[in-house]
Amino acid sequence: MSQTATIALLTMREALRRKLIAAFLGITIALVVLSAWGFDRLSHSRSLSSGEVAVSVPQALILFMFMFSFVVALSASTISSPAISAEIESGVLQSVATRPVRRAQILLGKWFGLAAVLAAYAAAVCALELVVVDVVSGFTPPDPAGAFGYLLAEGLVLLTVGLLLSTRLSALATGVVAVALFGAAWLAGVVGAIGADLHLASLREVDSVARYILPTDGLWHGVIYALEPRTILANAIGHATPFYASGPPSWAYLLWCAVWVVAALAVALLVFERREL
Amino acid sequence: MSLDSWAEAEHEPATPSAPRVEPAAPASTAADGPPPSPAVHTVELAKRYRRTVALRSLSMTVARGEVFGFLGPNGAGKTTTVKLLLGLARPSGGEALVLGAPAGDVETRRRIGYLPELFRFQHWLTAREVLQLHARLLELARRDRRADEALALVGLADRADDKVATFSKGMQQRLGLAVALVGEPELVVLDEPTSALDPVGRHEVRAIVRRLRERGTTVFLNTHLLEEAEQVCDRVTVIDHGRAIATGTLDELLGARASVRLRVTGLPDGWWRAYGALGTWTAEGDWLRMAGAAAGAVPELVAQIVRTGGSVEAVVPEHQTLEDRFLELLGAR
Repeated sequence: MSQTATIALLTMREALRRKLIAAFLGITIALVVLSAWGFDRLSHSRSLSSGEVAVSVPQALILFMFMFSFVVALSASTISSPAISAEIESGVLQSVATRPVRRAQILLGKWFGLAAVLAAYAAAVCALELVVVDVVSGFTPPDPAGAFGYLLAEGLVLLTVGLLLSTRLSALATGVVAVALFGAAWLAGVVGAIGADLHLASLREVDSVARYILPTDGLWHGVIYALEPRTILANAIGHATPFYASGPPSWAYLLWCAVWVVAALAVALLVFERREL
Repeated sequence: MSLDSWAEAEHEPATPSAPRVEPAAPASTAADGPPPSPAVHTVELAKRYRRTVALRSLSMTVARGEVFGFLGPNGAGKTTTVKLLLGLARPSGGEALVLGAPAGDVETRRRIGYLPELFRFQHWLTAREVLQLHARLLELARRDRRADEALALVGLADRADDKVATFSKGMQQRLGLAVALVGEPELVVLDEPTSALDPVGRHEVRAIVRRLRERGTTVFLNTHLLEEAEQVCDRVTVIDHGRAIATGTLDELLGARASVRLRVTGLPDGWWRAYGALGTWTAEGDWLRMAGAAAGAVPELVAQIVRTGGSVEAVVPEHQTLEDRFLELLGAR
């Protein structure tokens, strides 16, 4: 087995042993149960017409998924923030780094291990929530696999940010900065939505530029698009809110996201290679 | 054989243009092929952290198969040197070869075991899992992993399935020693290996070091415990302020300064003044102390005393301890 795979498996085992996944799954199940109750109330509401319910359920689902996207972002930054610096500070990394293992193998092993953990978590979140909504309200989003893919991609971007910062900053600083960046990117998306509603090009540009600097919000809009019924799109319902997407991310944008992750990993490797242990 | 030849025989040097200096003492000559390179060879190795000079200019050679003591007071540059040898830090100047390859060479690390001064392992793994992890990182075949054997060697056989988190500091240091021995390395670097151990543990570590020497393993023992060095090391280097101030076997370091106490009767007072050239004499009551005697001087002195009619009632050789010598060396700086 290559050393990259050994480090990846070690990283996954750490997430399991330290009960990180269990903790996130626990809170997720609690939120899913809460959402089941909410969707049940919404879909059986006597004050809403069937048309209003048909519009409200997908929008409520998008709201819940936004909450889960935040949990995914939080978990991505939480699991990646101690990956390098904290292990250097504790001395754990020194005994690994003096084995015939390249720093690139350590970094990539950790990235793959954490990515696998994140993928498992994102898959569990999507499966639980979408099944619950389907059972309770009968609504199935047009592209569940797409929603999972974009949610995972968003998490992977933040995971990479966390790993990059972790090569220089402490675990605490990395976690704080990564979550702050995620929040800033989302806020830029809100500013862009307001700009679109008010026809202010300068505000729209804030969103356009921010999506390239940190592509989490751009990918989040992919999740939204995958969950939106086409009736909402046809009528542009909620177009002035941050929970509306008029179309999926372009292939060029997705390619940019992939390049962004590879470039961030390359910078992380450069910093880690130069760091003295 | 030149340093270049050693490096080329075992590994392509990473910096062929770097200055090369003939090392002092090659270890041994193989029956066929080039003689093995020294286990460690440094030439004017230096490390600077911004304005702080951690290592000024260290030149030393550690022969294959010897137990080499690397001594110095706190802050002398011992751990910095170890980090440079293992590639955890980059030198600011000079060069270092380890097992014939530039320090830090990834493939050469397969043949090196290391117990860090700050011994910390994945606390959520069991002791056996830690050893298995290192065996996998060394890409050892399953039959060669021998985790249980290594744990038994350091006295942790009955704790193999316990999480590291439940271990005391001393037990973690024992585990670190077992980790350093995984894969039967040619060079074992031990950075303060007994700092957390009780006297029994220290005794056991010394026994392990002696066993490694019998097996032909080179041991680089970084310690400030002089008694430990005195008991197990073949040669030592003393460093201070980032520079080697003395190197040699213990006999070379201590023997040259041997002193002897004598009790002689039957000769007139002050008889010893005639032998002033042999050493520095001090009268201590009925006893005389001659310090700094050259090798072979004492038997000749005793014969002379007897020839001139004196009676030698007692001759007590006094060995300077490594601690005395160490303090003397540091004091002379």
